[in-house]
Amino acid sequence: MTSLIHIKDPLQFSQILFDLMQKVNAGISEMELYEFRYALDEYAPENQDWSQIELKDIQQIENMITGRDFFDKIQIRKQVSGKIIFDDEIKKLTRMLFVGLVKGDYNLEWVKKWFYFDVRGFYFLVRTIYFTPEILAHFGGKPYKQFDPKQNRLEVFQGLGYKDFKECNRETDQALIKLLKSLVAVKGTPILITLAGPTAAGKTEIVSRLKEAFEQNKQKVTSIEMDSFLLDNDYRDDKGIKTLGKEAYHFDLFLECMDDIHHTKRVTIPSYEKSVSCYDENGKLKPGAHPIVLEPADIVFLEGNFPFHIPEVSHFIDIKIVYLTDDPIRLKRKWKRDLDYRKKYEFNYFRNRYFRTQFLRAEDTYRPLMQECDLVVDTTNAALWATPPLQRILSK
Amino acid sequence: MKPPEFVMNPQQFLETLYLVMKGINPAVGDMELYEFKYGMDTVFPNDDWASIRLSEPDKIENLVNSSSFYDKIQIKPMKGSKIKLDDEITFLTQMLFTGLVKGKYSTDWVKKHFFFDLRGFYFLHRTEYLTEEVKAHLGGKPFACFECKQKTFEHQQSVGYKEFKAANTEIDGLLINSIKKLISVKGIPIVVAIAGQTAAGKTEIVERLRMEVEKEGRTVTSIEMDNFLTARDHREANGIHSLGKKALHWELFLKCLEDITHGKKITTPRYDFIDGDSSHDLNGYLKPGFTPVEIDPADIIFIEGNFPFLIQEVAHLIGIKVVYLTDDAVRLQRKWKRDVDYRKKYDPNYFRNRFFKDQFPMAEKCYIPQLEVCDIFVDTTGAALWTTPEIARVLRD
Repeated sequence: MTSLIHIKDPLQFSQILFDLMQKVNAGISEMELYEFRYALDEYAPENQDWSQIELKDIQQIENMITGRDFFDKIQIRKQVSGKIIFDDEIKKLTRMLFVGLVKGDYNLEWVKKWFYFDVRGFYFLVRTIYFTPEILAHFGGKPYKQFDPKQNRLEVFQGLGYKDFKECNRETDQALIKLLKSLVAVKGTPILITLAGPTAAGKTEIVSRLKEAFEQNKQKVTSIEMDSFLLDNDYRDDKGIKTLGKEAYHFDLFLECMDDIHHTKRVTIPSYEKSVSCYDENGKLKPGAHPIVLEPADIVFLEGNFPFHIPEVSHFIDIKIVYLTDDPIRLKRKWKRDLDYRKKYEFNYFRNRYFRTQFLRAEDTYRPLMQECDLVVDTTNAALWATPPLQRILSK
Repeated sequence: MKPPEFVMNPQQFLETLYLVMKGINPAVGDMELYEFKYGMDTVFPNDDWASIRLSEPDKIENLVNSSSFYDKIQIKPMKGSKIKLDDEITFLTQMLFTGLVKGKYSTDWVKKHFFFDLRGFYFLHRTEYLTEEVKAHLGGKPFACFECKQKTFEHQQSVGYKEFKAANTEIDGLLINSIKKLISVKGIPIVVAIAGQTAAGKTEIVERLRMEVEKEGRTVTSIEMDNFLTARDHREANGIHSLGKKALHWELFLKCLEDITHGKKITTPRYDFIDGDSSHDLNGYLKPGFTPVEIDPADIIFIEGNFPFLIQEVAHLIGIKVVYLTDDAVRLQRKWKRDVDYRKKYDPNYFRNRFFKDQFPMAEKCYIPQLEVCDIFVDTTGAALWTTPEIARVLRD
């Protein structure tokens, strides 16, 4: 255990923490100590005295981060002097983990088991468990296909572009494409395939590649983004609609569209641009607005995070896929894509929001979907998980 | 003859520009087209690309080489409650994009006068530091040249110090040996001043020099010129640029320098970059509750800052005058990582505006004048060390 003197001396504290953090995240070793100290400044307690930080015991922390209350309370856009601030609870957690690591109260293995550290945001986030025992059981306990998890090499990256990401997923993505070709051949067309997954998991890109693959087979393919059916963002805000359930969408239009697809009809879907739908909340086309018209296709991909397993929708869907990428990797993708390229979010808003939503979305959307879907693609662990019935079809 | 109508649709425009931009900045080739489009969307014109009126190349050259253009750049223009990229900067990038796609501006011309920062997704003017006068002062050619290892940074969007240091190993090694030799020839106590732009690598090279001379049994100390800055609010309210006497507790600076060269202990102000406040009031008195910086006398006194020997009144107190420069494009990459990512010091748009606005006047008013009087010029990006002919003779002996 480190002596109190080390904790009280900010230089010694940061030196010890720097050494420890390299074991938590290999990306830290790419930093010079002074760069690490720059980033650490954000957490420095009053008078630089880290010994005043009170530590919760391990059980208390585990209880806190496994309950949704903690995440519900995270304030994503709280402002001080006109600027969005980093949420206090998130900051406290990271500060506590830093001190606990240096004091030896929290061991490295425990920290790594429950948290990951994002270097660009310089904060700890809670590791989300996607594969619960129930979900593992749903897929027969082991992956259908498993490859070398090449995303491991991305650990030292602070931001991640799609080219590097795609390169790591090559085998898994190819296996998915091959598998879907076989499935479509068995099940016949028209066929509706849903692809759900967290933000920046790589859904849009894989749908685009699947589309190309089927088009090479001379099959007509179309893809629909579930976001197209969203109600105006302002309307949802006014009504306090926070989740992505039925109430967030033009649900009747959506059902109509599903039915049309199944009858190989031309479908009309709303356009949704800059947080505004071309339909009003009553499902009426806004004056002067133009919906999107899609011609009938053999294969229709529906991409988005709607709970496709709910009974009203489920029966329309032929193959339900969840495309997952682990939270740390998605966060690196989002730094590059959403902050650097799109310049879409304010820095603290983004840190707060990602921290908050990864837990809540997993609980509200992804795990329930995984429990019911046919196929999970886990890009980070380079694994395809298929349900036993699907495996039987594929074995034919 | 009326020029042909520009009818390219946005997708064609995007694809053409993507190809052209790979030739301007190789890192664009590491992006997918859709990622490039995300960047493009941030500078999309109000109407369409065809609406962008193009200036003649010579007019653009005149524009970006005039101080008045930079004076007009606003560092905190607002859109709603958020700082936006300055309109002039945005328009310059839009114009260069359009001109490249239309073929009005050649890639070579654009590369000669501008660099494209991928993280900020904008063009910046390429600053010329090595003027004919500077070259003449430094004997017309470098004292020594090495392989330009910073070239590998072209594929990066930001640069951390470890890789920066590794790229500069040879040039830094030569600088350290040169300073050691000059100290042994000139004797102690000696003031060694290192001037250099923000993120050129001054602090780090001073630290390494310090360790090296300490190994020889000499005592070393350093004075940070930035600590002499007056409070930021005062400078901003009075339109004082962070150059020259007015930006500093000047009398204190002069006195400190004189005292320490006479072997006396000195007390300097302390400047806090986070809140932009100085420990001393405008009359040079320590403010209640603030702690100054105490500096003991030493054999070698390093002064580090933007303009340690810009002002003639201090030049005679400095034994070795070094300008340590890194090209703007690389410094910007360093600052993205150090100041935006690690220190979280700036709003990204404020940062983009400020870097664009500052680099030209700083070169004109600060670095080129110091290059014209320095003893040694280190060009880390060009991996070249330049010296005056006199210094070259000393180093060769």
